[in-house]
Order: sequence, then structure tokens, then C-alpha cells
Amino acid sequence: MSLIPRSRTARAHILFLAVPILLFGAFYIYPIAASVRLSLHDWNGFSPDQRFVGLRNYAALWGQPRFINAVLNNLAWVAFMLTVPTGIGLALAAILDRGIRGETMFRIIFFLPFTIPAVSVGAIWRWMYEPSNGLLTTTLELVGLGGLAQNWLGDPDIVTFALMGAVAWWTTGFAFLVFFAGLRNIPEECIEAARIEGGSDWQIFWKVSFPLLWPSTIIVLGISAIDAMRLFDVIWATTKGGPAYASEVLAVQMYDLAFGRFQMGRASAVAVSLLVLSAVVIMPYIWYMTRRVQDAEVE
Amino acid sequence: MNRTATLALIAGAAFAGAPAGAQETYEIWHYYAAGSELAGMNAMIENGNAASDDAVFEGVIIPGNVVELRRQLQSAMLGGQPPAAYQSSMAFELRTFVDSGQLHPLTDVWNTVNGDEIFPEGVQRVVKIDGVPYGVPYDLSLINNIFYNKEIFEELELDAPTDWDEFDATCAALSEAGYEPLGNAGGPFWSLYNFYAPLVSVVGVDGYYDLASGELGFDSEEFSTALDLYAEHMVPCYADNWSGKTWTQTADDVVNGDTGMFMMGIWVAAYFEQAGFMAGEDFDMFPAPGTADAAIFQMDVLAVPNGPDDAIAAAEVFIEAAASTEGQAAFAVPKGSLAPNVNVDPSVYGYAGASFSEQFSAASEAGKVLPNLFFLLPTDVGTELGVQIERFAIDPSDETKEEVISTLEAMRQSALEEDAFLNW
Repeated sequence: MSLIPRSRTARAHILFLAVPILLFGAFYIYPIAASVRLSLHDWNGFSPDQRFVGLRNYAALWGQPRFINAVLNNLAWVAFMLTVPTGIGLALAAILDRGIRGETMFRIIFFLPFTIPAVSVGAIWRWMYEPSNGLLTTTLELVGLGGLAQNWLGDPDIVTFALMGAVAWWTTGFAFLVFFAGLRNIPEECIEAARIEGGSDWQIFWKVSFPLLWPSTIIVLGISAIDAMRLFDVIWATTKGGPAYASEVLAVQMYDLAFGRFQMGRASAVAVSLLVLSAVVIMPYIWYMTRRVQDAEVE
Repeated sequence: MNRTATLALIAGAAFAGAPAGAQETYEIWHYYAAGSELAGMNAMIENGNAASDDAVFEGVIIPGNVVELRRQLQSAMLGGQPPAAYQSSMAFELRTFVDSGQLHPLTDVWNTVNGDEIFPEGVQRVVKIDGVPYGVPYDLSLINNIFYNKEIFEELELDAPTDWDEFDATCAALSEAGYEPLGNAGGPFWSLYNFYAPLVSVVGVDGYYDLASGELGFDSEEFSTALDLYAEHMVPCYADNWSGKTWTQTADDVVNGDTGMFMMGIWVAAYFEQAGFMAGEDFDMFPAPGTADAAIFQMDVLAVPNGPDDAIAAAEVFIEAAASTEGQAAFAVPKGSLAPNVNVDPSVYGYAGASFSEQFSAASEAGKVLPNLFFLLPTDVGTELGVQIERFAIDPSDETKEEVISTLEAMRQSALEEDAFLNW
């Protein structure tokens, strides 16, 4: 029996499937496999020689407070990204969905920060957070709340929270836009029916609109979680993970080890650890959400 | 006109646009993206182009710093398409690329320009690997000076301090008058550069090199004493919230009259002057206590990757021009740094540059020219030293001090096991 189908249509299907599978293998599977292989070697990134060291790179990492700190920071970012920008985006979308005046202008204002490149976001907030004369400190002093001003990017205890503020400003526009589009796609008759039944605005939102926003919610939460795990550019542009590793996440540590310290093997071990951590944190969510969508479609 | 004829016409036009004997273009990679640094590099490239009939040199900016440049170099070198030459740090950075077989030895061009004559001994030792030159210096900056706002000092009738006791008194006077005494900035470099003053005060020149070669431990009495000296004199003098500022933001604080002093590399003088804050009139400088007759410096060099013969030959022409007195001055004057070539006439500099040049010459004669320790140490150890000193500057407690010492000593032991240290 020949493995090549006789039907011309079937052969076309195989051909069309082969292209994405080859691309997926070349640009996704192969780099992952190469990273795993590299994580078992000692290599400075420039030498023709790579020395096999087994699991030594992993052993060195997992005993380091620096690595543990970066993992915890990543988990904190996941919790933050799933709640704050998402929550604010949902609230803004719900407010604007009520048809207030200047809706178009507000839509642009809310979404505009998301169009700014990450490096520029870092530069903007580097100045916003300047601890003596920055916009935030100056504003707090002007309204008599100077006592709340902090060493925003220089205090190891608060630098991550300060960065979260910058990222919230940057990414909320995305959540807002997806939720807003979702709200506008909810059939008007559902809202009308709830209103005729005597539901308040609050009840209509939580009992009718929000459940119908599930597809939008899945997109926003899924992308937010992935963004949190691969977060790099804003932190690198703003603090480079400092002061003294306080704001470092795994992607920043990976970059520092690879190109700041010529430790490509250990950087690959960080990359593989990040991949595993992302899979553990995000895959159950994606599986659960996918099941919920399927269930909702069945219902 | 049919399709074949059209294609033939286009091909003919293309050939006509590329005359025989056209000059080849060669790339010089660097990360000077703006301001005085870019002006200096552009002037040096212009000087190189003027010196070459056969090649055109083109500067390619790699945005960021040395880390981003390394990332680009990795792709280029492994892909077999490196630039003709690139901006490199000194010492261990060169060593890593040489050990990886990526750099072309510059013995020929070094001999052509009389490198052993025109560059001071302290400079030569950080561009030669096992006696072979792999980098030609063009950008030298001292990092052991403290800059001060003259108006504030005159208002408070303060003189530049010469020892740690006078330094403490100056800090106290500035603080009492409502000024931030000493600026600093966040990141792994600036606190470390400040720390060199107490370090040299304690360990001297020989101890400094012993630390660089791994012979003196981070758990030694000397290193511990240097940390104590730093915590006693400099850390309490720092401005509030220094760790949340960039060095340019702190420089602005000096210009604005909020901060009295700022210990920074001499590039800050160029930054000040670009802001209209002039050397000798608005600001002046003095060597940090403990380094009065020394010059601690860092330096960028031109390195040439292994590559096609024509690219190497072109790079050597460029480097020969860059090492000349004209080439060195072309870069150093707009950049605000020092030309490593000792034959450059000091009169090309302004007030600040002439002062730094004199300081460097005096230190050379005294045998106290010290390369930045960050670049003498194995890259991992040097980088960690910067991170740990910043950490100690933020929290100079005994507990942090112990953790700093144990972290660094563990890395030293690991580097010793791998035979990673070098005797510079």
C-alpha cells in the first residue's frame, strides 16, 4: 500500500499541512531542543567549543537566591497581570459602553499607551519615577501628599510595584479594547430582556454582560499570563533588573547571563526553566478555559 | 517591449550604476547613539575616511550598551559576517573574544603606529593578551574624580577636600546648608566606581592588582576594611534616593544646584558643558580621597574580528588613522574623554580635559595608573562585584556586608577552580 494518497485533493491537503508543520518544527521545536541541549553545556557564546557539563547549570541555578527571587517575581507578575490591567480594562470598557459623551476620544486615550514601544515606555517612566523632580513625586507634593513619594525605582522593596504601575498604564489599553469590542457584540435583546425583568445596571452587567464576555476574558487573561511570563523589555529598559536584582525576572536574568556574563549554557538553563514554569502556570489555565468555551458552545 | 527586453534593460542599468573600481564600504560597529559620544565617533570615522583611498568606513550604531553589542556580534561572528572593526571594552572582554578565536591580532598595525611608544604602559597591559595587542585604544576616561558645583562651594566657603576627614567635613557642611552632599546613581557601575577610592586607600596599587588577579580574597581583612571605609565616609554622604536616579539625572541635580558633589567618570564634564554648565566657571573637580596621585581609568578600544582579508586590511588602515594624534583628538575632544596617545597636544582640550590630561600624566609617572577593576576581573566576577557593591551602598548593614563578602568570595573560589583570573 502506498503512503502517498491517490487523490489529488488529499495530496494538496498534505502539502498545505506540511508547510506549517515544517515552519513550526524549524522555528519553534528546533530552537527549544537546541536550548535544552545548550543548557547541558558550558559555552561563552563565541567559542567553537562547547563543554558538556550535564545538569550542573541547573544545579547552580536552583540553589541561588537570585534565581529563586526571579521566579517569585515572575509569579507576582502573573498575579498582577491577571488582575490589575485586566480589571481596569474591564471597568473602563464597561463605563464607556454606557454611551457617555466623548466616547471616541476616551477610546483613543485609553488605547494609546499600548501603541508605544516598550523601550519608550521604560524611558517615559524612568522620568516619571525620578524620585526628586519626577512627575509623580512633584504631583504628590503639589497636592500635599509629598509624604507618599518614594524612591520608586531605587528601593528594592517597592521597585517591582513601581514597574507594575508602568506596565498597567501600558497594557490596560489592550484589555480595554478587547472587552469593549466584546461588550459591543453582546446582543442588545439580552440586555433589554434583563432590563424588562427589572434588573439593575449592576445586576445586568454581572449576570448578563460579564458571562457573555467569556471569549474576550479568555483572550485577555491568556495573553496577560503569557505576557507576564515572558516580560523583559520594560524591565530591561527601566531598571535592568536592579537595584541588586530586586526587580529581576527570569527573562532578564537569562539575557544578563547570556550577553552580560558570557554564560550561554546557564542562560539556556534559565530559558528552559522559564519554559517549564510557564507550562506549569499557564497550560492548566488554557486547558480549563478551552473546556469552558466548548461547554458554553454546547449549551 | 517584451518582458525579456525589459529585464535586460534593468540588468544593464544596474551594471551601469556600479562602476569598476568602486570603493568598498566597511562597517565600524559601536554603541555611541547620541550627543558628545556620537559626535566623537563620527569625527573619528570621518578621519578614517580621509586617510583611505580604497575604502569607505561607515559607523553602525548598535543601540544600548556593551551587552547589546555582544548580542549583535554573536550573530555576526557565528554567521561569518562580522564588521570590519568594532568598539570593545578593554582587558577581560578582549580576552574572552581572543580565547574564542574571534579576534585578529593587531601586531602589524601596532608596530606601524609605534604602539609601545605612544600608549602608556598602564594602557598597554589591558589591550595585550599574552603580549599580543588585540585592541587599539581611542577613548580613555578617568573615573576617580569628584565634580562639584563651584557656586555652592563658594557660597559655603568650602575648599576641595584632600583626605577622608576633610571629605566628611565638606559633606556635613553641605548637608547643614540644605544641599544633597554627594550624588550617586543606580546600577552596577557607579557605586562600584565610587568604592574604588576607599579600596585603593586601603589596598594600594599592588593590592588592587592582587584583587584583580584573584590573589587577594574578598574575604580578606583589606577588602572588609575598604567596605567599612566606604560605609563610613561615602555612603552617609550620598543624596537621598540616589539609587532611583540615572547618572544623567544626578548630573542635572548638580547643574540645578540641588547637589554639591558627584563622583563620576570624566564624561560627565562633557554632559555638564552641553547643558551650559562650564568647567572652571560653574564646576570644578578633585581626585577622590585616597586617589590624589592615581588615575583609575576605563577605556574603549578598536578590535578587529577575524574575517575576509580585505576587511582586515581596511580595518588596519582605519585603526592606523584612529591611533594618530589627529584621529585620537578627533574623537576625544568632542566626546570629552582623553586621547590615550601621549603625543596628543594637551592644548587641544579645554579646561577640564587639560586638567584630566595632567592628572593622567602625573599618575603615569608615579606608576599609579589603574585600569577599572570591573574589566580586569573575570566578566562574571566583575559584574557581580558591581551588583554587590550597589547592594551594600543601599543597605550598609553588617548582615549585608557578610552576604556581599560570602557571595563574592564564593565566585572568586569558583573562578580560581576554573583558572579564570589573569595577571594583568
